[in-house]
Amino acid sequence: MERLMRKAEELARRYGISYYEIRITKVTASHLTMQNSQLEELALNTEIGIGVRAFNGAWGFSSANDMSRAERAIETAMKIAKLSKGDSRIYLGDPVKDRAEIKVKQSFLDVDIEDKLSLVKEVDSLLKGDSISNRSVSYGDGLKEQLYFNSLGSEIETVVPRIRLSFSVTAKGNGEMQQYWRSFGGAAGWELVEGVDLTHWTAFVRRKAISLLSAKSPPSGEFDVIMDPELTGVFIHEALGHAAEADAIKTGESILTGRLGERIAVEELTVVDDPTLPGKFGSYIYDDEGIRAKRVEIIKNGVLLNYLNDRETAAVLGLEPNGHGRAQGYSYQPLVRMSNTYVEPRDWSFEEMLSEVKRGLYMIGDKGGEVDTANGTFTFGAKEGYIIENGEIKEQVRDVALSGKILDVLKNIRAIGSDLVVEFPGYCGKGQWVPVDDGGPHVLTRAVVGGLR
Amino acid sequence: MIERLIRILERENVEWEIYWERGRGGSFKIENEKLERSQRKFHSGIGLRVGYKGRLGFSYITGIGHDIETLENFVKRTIKLARVSEVPFRGFPSEKKPAKIRGLYDKRIDEIPFEDAHAMAQNFAERMIELKAGRGEYTLSGSLAFGVNFYGIANSNGIFLEDKSTGMSVSTYAVKKGTRTGSGSYYQSYRSLQPFEELERAIKLAIEEADMSWDAERFRPYEGELLLEPPAFRAIVGIFLENLFGDNVHYGRSRFVDLGKRVASEKLTITDDATIDNGIGSYPFDGEGNPGRKTVLVEEGFLRGFLLDETYGWLLGMESTGNAVRDFRTVPHIGTSNVVVEPGKESLEDFEGIVIKKVFGEHTANPISGDFSLTVELGYVVRDGKVEPFKDNMLVGNVFELLDSIRAVGKELIRRGSFYSPRVLAIGKII
Repeated sequence: MERLMRKAEELARRYGISYYEIRITKVTASHLTMQNSQLEELALNTEIGIGVRAFNGAWGFSSANDMSRAERAIETAMKIAKLSKGDSRIYLGDPVKDRAEIKVKQSFLDVDIEDKLSLVKEVDSLLKGDSISNRSVSYGDGLKEQLYFNSLGSEIETVVPRIRLSFSVTAKGNGEMQQYWRSFGGAAGWELVEGVDLTHWTAFVRRKAISLLSAKSPPSGEFDVIMDPELTGVFIHEALGHAAEADAIKTGESILTGRLGERIAVEELTVVDDPTLPGKFGSYIYDDEGIRAKRVEIIKNGVLLNYLNDRETAAVLGLEPNGHGRAQGYSYQPLVRMSNTYVEPRDWSFEEMLSEVKRGLYMIGDKGGEVDTANGTFTFGAKEGYIIENGEIKEQVRDVALSGKILDVLKNIRAIGSDLVVEFPGYCGKGQWVPVDDGGPHVLTRAVVGGLR
Repeated sequence: MIERLIRILERENVEWEIYWERGRGGSFKIENEKLERSQRKFHSGIGLRVGYKGRLGFSYITGIGHDIETLENFVKRTIKLARVSEVPFRGFPSEKKPAKIRGLYDKRIDEIPFEDAHAMAQNFAERMIELKAGRGEYTLSGSLAFGVNFYGIANSNGIFLEDKSTGMSVSTYAVKKGTRTGSGSYYQSYRSLQPFEELERAIKLAIEEADMSWDAERFRPYEGELLLEPPAFRAIVGIFLENLFGDNVHYGRSRFVDLGKRVASEKLTITDDATIDNGIGSYPFDGEGNPGRKTVLVEEGFLRGFLLDETYGWLLGMESTGNAVRDFRTVPHIGTSNVVVEPGKESLEDFEGIVIKKVFGEHTANPISGDFSLTVELGYVVRDGKVEPFKDNMLVGNVFELLDSIRAVGKELIRRGSFYSPRVLAIGKII
């Protein structure tokens, strides 16, 4: 390591590079998948690689997964930066020397593969039932040990564990097929999966998939919509989070460009992105640019207060760096990304919210979403829904997707519940995949529902 | 080194398969018409599958320049995994002749000096400034990428295959601002080095689309004939294809159980074809060593084929269609090669009516029930030769009903990456 650091200094002098950073990452991971009692994958792997960025007004990057090429990767990144000569700027703050670890109660590295297999088999067995044609279980864990150093003198060692268990069923009947699923995960140890009430949740997904077989397609058009905490999470991630990522602001590709300090939502709305939440799937201590992770209030009482930024967007836009430069792995350059994004709770009870709706939908669960940050349009799916008529929950509906305009929907929020939940682990794609979490309380707003009726 | 690894494996009483890769890629990201990020990445590694007493073990190592001790440990570790694993081993393919495909490797991409590729990206950025000048307020971004991959597969049944491929891709994203916002994008990938005109084309098409999007407003609800342009039809076909993956069929996660059923209009024929010359999804052999081939999936509306690898072919009593996709880090899984919607006889070029150009959100659809609700990113109405764009509506419907309602398929095949399709006229609903 000392040798690589000296080599990097020497090469930076040779190529006239003002700033560089190097990540050396080791990931030890296991992954098991099972379908219909058949084990499909059991993998245990360790991977080491190096990623190097050098800055010369623009970025040069190089990576290698063969450590014998480490010095060559450093030199390549610097050569590219020398060639690039851009006019951008980056934040060059105080150097940090630290060793930071997300501690766990029981490391999954100490759990035998047989025990992980037993867990997968137990879930598979619990998912069995009438009308269930397919059961699918996936377990994965990974310990990421990263050494980061840069030309400012930062030397940061981080250890971040991540664990995830998810399962789904497909139910068949009435000439229909429907799926339902649930995921659990966090920056945590084996204790996370041990704490899951498997009997309850497996019965829950079975029941939901079967009930969806007799659910109808929703009506279409603009409706009052109550979103459950899981759907609120994906809604705020898609409808606001991506547009608040400062790389889209810097390029003028976000509808939120130039709106800091502006009221863009109802006064009751406060939206937070917080990588420091203990044990959540999107949590970390330092980002992949060696900046300490910070809680960010994106919207405070309806006013756009902050963007999520990295070293470059912080400098270019004149903002405080807040540690949101994240990379999928050593072979990727950090990009501005969300971590754990959620809507702060207010004081509405679910019953009060329900009584506000004459005709609308109660929509539950996250089926993913997508956003066009420039036009400000988003779409996202719900796992299931219920028709609401005169404040009462009526028939169940299936295959529901919503669409809306970011700035309209944020202003259309009529009620925010008191029941905050942030435990919906997933992966967010933006050319690279990073683990994220999101959530919120129940929220009442108005959106376009795309149904077949 | 591969030979050394094979010698070690041959000493063991196991069946084995190794898949190796070595490659590099250069890519360039342009933001605000400035070249902001350039990168050159190297990758190499070996994936090893071992069959032992009816069980399968898999692991991988990165790099391909290892000493004998590392290789011995790699083999031991994978055999040990096969012992504890309960993944059934159903055999590796036997030796077959790979498909002959032209144009998958271009020496000019393999040997392009990084400085030249960088200069091309720089010119791409400068051309963006020139092309947007005097047209209004635009922000242009884009990317340019080049890659080369050397790969091979060998197994204890005598397969030993090696090949190399190259790729180039270009994308542009344009945002038009002012009193309102419009956005447009273009993406294409190739096997061979392209002239600069292709980059210019990408910029022009993205700007054209941004202009159209800038003018677009939400359209009234409508139900009836809709013309789907290839990017929109790709979303529909993608939802449908989920049902044809052999693993989904085997595990009851597909709407279909058997072949032969009518699943779409007689106008529709879809193939998966790994043998198209210069095809971005083409390959001479798949991730298990089976030859790439052309598989008819839907023929004049009838279901004719599933997408299969060796395992699910065996489980369904069929033959692999050579659709095992992988890299050295993964075990083979089923994927598509080039998906081709066969052209029809109609000329839909002068169509008058409602056209859907782009949609998004297809991953929220339910492939089994077929129900979907997608956001219309861009559409337009053609009346008396005049074009009126619209956006932000939702295209809603059922995939199976929509495919069944196809009235006409255009003559002109358009390619985007590994998807080939003409324009398609069907019955649909927008809200």
